[in-house]
Amino acid sequence: MNGVPLNLDWQQILLHLLNFVILFAILYFLLYKPVKNFMDKRKAAYQEMDDAANAAKQEAETIKAECEEKLAGLDAEMAKKRQEAIDAAQQRAKSITDNASQQASELLAKAEKQAEAERDRIIAEAGAKVTEMAKEAAEKAIFSDTSEAFDSFLEAAEGKNQ
Amino acid sequence: MNKKQKIRALIIFACAFVAILAGVILTGLNKTGHGEDIQVVMRDAVLHETYKVSLFGLIDVNPGLISAFVVTGVFLVFALIVRIFVIPKFKIIPGKFQMFLEQMVEMFSNMAKGNSPECYKFIGAYIFAAGSYICVGTLFELFGFQVMTTSGTSIALPAPLSDINGAVCMGCLTYIIIMIGGIVKNGIVGFGRTIKEFSLPISMSFRLFGALLSGALVTELVYHATVMSYGIPVLVGVLFTLLHALIQAYVLTTLASTYFGEVTEKKIKKPKKAKKAAA
Repeated sequence: MNGVPLNLDWQQILLHLLNFVILFAILYFLLYKPVKNFMDKRKAAYQEMDDAANAAKQEAETIKAECEEKLAGLDAEMAKKRQEAIDAAQQRAKSITDNASQQASELLAKAEKQAEAERDRIIAEAGAKVTEMAKEAAEKAIFSDTSEAFDSFLEAAEGKNQ
Repeated sequence: MNKKQKIRALIIFACAFVAILAGVILTGLNKTGHGEDIQVVMRDAVLHETYKVSLFGLIDVNPGLISAFVVTGVFLVFALIVRIFVIPKFKIIPGKFQMFLEQMVEMFSNMAKGNSPECYKFIGAYIFAAGSYICVGTLFELFGFQVMTTSGTSIALPAPLSDINGAVCMGCLTYIIIMIGGIVKNGIVGFGRTIKEFSLPISMSFRLFGALLSGALVTELVYHATVMSYGIPVLVGVLFTLLHALIQAYVLTTLASTYFGEVTEKKIKKPKKAKKAAA
């Protein structure tokens, strides 16, 4: 046993050191780094997929919110349009009714006017006929027996009235 | 347990008992069965005086150094094969071997990240190499590769770290790396923090050396007591080797990453106003 405790040999320690440094380099460059790189790349790819999925989800939620908002607006708009259509229909119906009523009034007035004119005409014609008949009766009375004339006048008058 | 199994167990037990008894009777209780003194073996395990191996005919070295070179060679071949044939075929959904490699890398990487969050890339790679070296190096002695010593006897190659030189190398290198990390990250403060733990290289070195040596010594002791040399050394040796391989790899890597984390941790400066207010 020499003077160094536990027979430590610096040369062999350095050889062990050299051996471990070589081993470290081998393991680092051939195993640790490539495996770690692969794992990091895979992690990044999964992270990217996760981010894309989250972004798509966010976008979908935004679109959904927009659609819901639009849908809610659409309901209100539809109700408004429906009310407007009902109002317009009612107005139109009223207008048609008024128009029809006016036309009916006009027609009635016109009919009344025509009827009045017809009555006047008939009365005038009847007057004329009465006058004519009276004239004929007078002529007959003048030219025939009075009773016969009177009877024929009455018969003629009754026949006209029927 | 059915009747057949019971009979089989009894036969095995009886055979083992008869074998041990025969060993005791034939060899005698007080004789050693190996023609070499246990004191010499144990003394050599600690001091490495007797058995030396010639390194390419240049110098005589401890067998542990040869083991270290062999382990590195094995790692080189393994890493080359994996790098060339396996890693390029890595899949997104890993297979069993890919899973094993990824788990190993991730375990050390996460350990480094957890214990040294400020600076973990280098220490992650370092503890990966150190952990693999300690674990595989310790398991290496189970194979019992024979090597010829300079004295002409054949011995089984021991674990690299059962050589005091290898253990001191690992301890000191770890300490130096911690110190460099501290200086790079925190300058003089990091250096001071490392110096504060001046006993670290000694404790690390001797923890490694002592743990592995104790396993070897206990196995030798069991093996040299003839009465216990049938079957038991295998159990004890494998048990000690496996346990030390895992425990020492875990202990050194955890200590290295923890101390590295301590010395590289950024010092949080207190705001001056708060100081004045406190004063």
